[in-house]
Amino acid sequence: MCDCNTENLFLPQLCDIIAATMITATEKHFKLKLQTGERLVFEPGQILEVGLFGYGEIPLGLASSPSRKDGTFDLVVRVLGKVSKALGDLKAGDTMTIRGPLGNGFPVDEFKGKDVLIVAGGIGLCPVRSMINYILQHRDDFKKFTLFFGTKTPSDFLFEEDLEAWRCSSCMQYLETVDVPDTAWSGNVGVITTLFPMAKDITPETRVIVCGPPIMYKFVVAELDKVGIPRSNVYVDLERRMKCGVGKCGHCQINDKYVCMDGPVFRFSDIENLEEAI
Amino acid sequence: MQHYFLADQDLSAFVESLMAKCPVIAPVANRSRFVFETLETVDDLRLDYDTTILPPKKAFFPTKQDLITFDENGFKAALNPQEQILLGTHPHDIKGIAMSDIFYQDRKVDNNYMAYRNATTIIGSSVQNHYKHAFFGTMNADRPITGHDMFMTKVDSGYVVETVTPKGDALIGLGTFTNVTDAQIADAKAVNEAAEANCPEKLNGTAAEIREKVRNSFDSPIWDEFAKDCFSCGSCNIVCSTCFCFDVQDEWTVNAKAGKRFRIWDACLTSEFSQVTSPTKSENFRETQGERYRHRFMRKAAYLNDTLGGPACTGCGRCSGACTANIANPVTVINKLLEQ
Repeated sequence: MCDCNTENLFLPQLCDIIAATMITATEKHFKLKLQTGERLVFEPGQILEVGLFGYGEIPLGLASSPSRKDGTFDLVVRVLGKVSKALGDLKAGDTMTIRGPLGNGFPVDEFKGKDVLIVAGGIGLCPVRSMINYILQHRDDFKKFTLFFGTKTPSDFLFEEDLEAWRCSSCMQYLETVDVPDTAWSGNVGVITTLFPMAKDITPETRVIVCGPPIMYKFVVAELDKVGIPRSNVYVDLERRMKCGVGKCGHCQINDKYVCMDGPVFRFSDIENLEEAI
Repeated sequence: MQHYFLADQDLSAFVESLMAKCPVIAPVANRSRFVFETLETVDDLRLDYDTTILPPKKAFFPTKQDLITFDENGFKAALNPQEQILLGTHPHDIKGIAMSDIFYQDRKVDNNYMAYRNATTIIGSSVQNHYKHAFFGTMNADRPITGHDMFMTKVDSGYVVETVTPKGDALIGLGTFTNVTDAQIADAKAVNEAAEANCPEKLNGTAAEIREKVRNSFDSPIWDEFAKDCFSCGSCNIVCSTCFCFDVQDEWTVNAKAGKRFRIWDACLTSEFSQVTSPTKSENFRETQGERYRHRFMRKAAYLNDTLGGPACTGCGRCSGACTANIANPVTVINKLLEQ
């Protein structure tokens, strides 16, 4: 029995808020830095327990590339519940806490030298933004890069500056859609799978990341099946209720897996037959 | 490992010596039931108890446990383990503690559990009276009893006492222990075997058979059939030796300048356990009573087997007794599945 462990899994680190911006009606984008001045080392796709004393903690995917030069990192808080509302009231100069990075991120090495497709629905763009920006920063390490992004309405678009850059980029194929257009919208209308016929050269060798609302996964995977992409080359980023983030509290358990420890990134073929996963 | 004999008339003096050393948590009567509680007087000790309302895990995994305290100047861990003795733990409850020891050290060591666990000396005792729903004789019966420091088996005119660890050996000087005879050791073995054999309820399959049958019954209608009467109250979780789930919450002091973060036992049968907030509607990954009821059985019979080295159940029967709707009895459910 171990009695030498003095680490406390629940003790967080303090972070300074460098910038805080509402980017939609409900989403607030934070740029953060560890108060120790140290760089937060993480993999694209990993999560943090983000908190504020007196309110609690919520799990969030890191929304920036781990190779960002200034040592800052991004999070996006959807202001909905008790904790996220308290976090949403914070501004530049305030502090919040983090624990992590937690869980497994995207297996970056498996994507290197391969065509990459990322399919992001709504706020699912935030955790995969860590991978998107990593790919763009290390563009020569990857072959053809395609990004699908879909939201309910144009007002749900996140990271407008990124979207604008991606629309004009020659480094990637970027396609976007909305379920319900507004009067100013001139782009594609329809669910995210309507982007598949519009995309060029999605090959069976492509490595894929899918992140979005639970309903989205099976429809996207059906399209990937049509292309002939093996499900072992498809990665999904799952969301669950989490309280501890360290495989103890039980909230995120799916069968014998804990999303906080075994995920949040899973190879689709590893969980497709796992009841309650998708 | 050593065997000793403690005469009936010497029990109280031994327990009083333990109480002089540190707090002793032991079974005491509480209205018509029993609970593990810090002994105030040795006369309260009831080693003849059948079961306790809550399992003894609460000695190191309290129902509500402070994790962090915070104020305007910062925050710190609330860990403050004190030496304590857990006395009178039945063999199947010791197995439950051994499972929570494994769980809280699996992959990441949770020191908020382990620090209190390591500060605890466990003295087990034989089952003198059976809880009417107990089935430990057929659940995890092959699992060795480990994790305790000393064990006391009630025999004629006293107790056969076995020390298991150096912590247990160290207690021998605190009582009037005498040499034990081979016949008394044989009596003790027979007493413990009889306790298993005489359990009022019995499973009709081995752990391996149960795991396979339950796991393959994921889509069975049985879960909805039983769960249609479920109140989603989580009582079966709360009284369980091997339910380890918790919620984490923050609370302020009255002046809202300081506070604490604590964990509190949680229950996967409650409707909000797997619910996440979303802008349009709440996403609940186990929305129906049947899904939640099934999850608990799957977790006990299959999901945690590899981690814990066997089913996450001790056969204590507390869930059967705690369930208002009378649907939680594992023996009823598992035997019905085994028949199919």
